[in-house]
Amino acid sequence: MATRTRTPTPYPRHRSRKWFLTRWPYQLFMLRELSSVFLAAYMVLLLVLVTQVHNGQHAVRNFENTLKSPGLLIFTSVALIFALLHTITWFQAVPKALPLRRGENKVPPGLLIGAHYVAMLALSAIILIIVLV
Amino acid sequence: MTATAITRAAAITRAALAGTVTLEVARYLPGEDERPYFQSYDVPYHADWVVLDALNYLKDEVDSTLSYRWSCRMGVCGSCGAMVNDVPVLTCAAFLRDYLPGPIRIEPLANFPVERDLVIVLDDFMEKLSTIKPWIIRETEQPLDQGEYLQTPAQLDDFKQFSMCINCMLCYAACPVYQNDEEFLGPAVLALAQRYNHDSRDEGNTERNDVAWLDDGVWDCTFVGECSAVCPKGVDPAGAIQQAKLESTLGWYRSFLTPFGRR
Repeated sequence: MATRTRTPTPYPRHRSRKWFLTRWPYQLFMLRELSSVFLAAYMVLLLVLVTQVHNGQHAVRNFENTLKSPGLLIFTSVALIFALLHTITWFQAVPKALPLRRGENKVPPGLLIGAHYVAMLALSAIILIIVLV
Repeated sequence: MTATAITRAAAITRAALAGTVTLEVARYLPGEDERPYFQSYDVPYHADWVVLDALNYLKDEVDSTLSYRWSCRMGVCGSCGAMVNDVPVLTCAAFLRDYLPGPIRIEPLANFPVERDLVIVLDDFMEKLSTIKPWIIRETEQPLDQGEYLQTPAQLDDFKQFSMCINCMLCYAACPVYQNDEEFLGPAVLALAQRYNHDSRDEGNTERNDVAWLDDGVWDCTFVGECSAVCPKGVDPAGAIQQAKLESTLGWYRSFLTPFGRR
C-alpha cells in the first residue's frame, strides 16, 4: 500500500493590514490615534494665529474672517470632537497607568480621573483669563 | 424589557424549540489542507452548555478527528482558548446561549500558527515567557531559621492582580501589535514581568527589565487595551505595560543622575 507523504507544517500566523476594521474596540483605538492628526493640524492653526497677532490688529481681523469660512468651521468642529474623544479616552486610561496609593489603600479610579478633569478646567480657565484680560 | 432583551429571548426560545444550534468550526490538517476551512455542524442546544461542551459532543458523537485543547472545564487551566465569533474567549466559559441565534463561528486563537484544527503552536509564547524569568529571584536566600518572607496586604495588592494570569494567550489573540510584530514580547509576558518586579520578595528587576524595557518589550505597546478587555481572569496587562513604561522612563532618568547606582 502506497504511503501518503505528509508535511506536517503548521499554517502560518495571519497578518492583516485591515485588522482595525474587524471590531469596534479596534476602530475606537484608531479614531483615538487619528485624533492626534487633527490636534496637530489645530496646533498649526494656533501658531498661524500667533503670527498674525505679531503682524497687528488688521492681520488678526483678516485671520478671524478666514476662520469663519465653511471649510475651517467644519475642520475646527471635527478637531473639537476628536479633542474630546482623545481627552475622554486618555483620562479614562489614567488609573491604569498611574495607580496611586494613599497609605494602605489605592486612590479610587474615579478620583484620579476627576482630578484630571479639574486640572484641565483650571488650566483652560487660566488661559481664558490671560486671553481675555 | 428592552428591544435587545426581547430579541435575545426570542432567539433563545427559537433555539430551544429547534433543539439545535449551528457551529462553524475551522478545520486544518497539515499536509492535506492547503489552508483552514470551515465545517458546519448542528449540535444539540442546551441553555447550560458552553462552546466546549458542544465541541466535546462533536468529538464524541459526530467527528472524532476534530482536534482542540482543553483540560479543566472551569477557567483555570487556560487550555481551551479559541476565537468565537472573532473574539478570543475560553470556550469553557462561553455559553451557547450568548451567541444565539447562531451560527457560532469557532476558530483557533488568532495571531498564532495553526498546528491542526483549533490547536495552535504556542512555542513563541513559551520562549518569550522564559526570557522574563517568571519566578522569584533572590540575590541571597534568607536562612530558614529566620522564617518566611512576610508581606503586608498593600505589598501583596501591588502584584496580586498580575499573578492571576493563567497563560491562556487570549490577550495575544486580541493584540494587533503582536499580530503585526511577532518580536513583541506581548501582554501576558509583560504583565508577568510586572508581577515579579512588584513582588517585595523579589530582587530580579534588573535582569527582567533588560528584556522588558526594550523596543520589543513595553515600548512596542500602543495601548489598544483589548488584552485587558478579553482577559478571563481580570488581569490588566495593558495597565501593567503602561506602569512599566513609566518605570522605564524614570529608570532612564535615574541612570543619568546616579550612573553607578542600581536602576
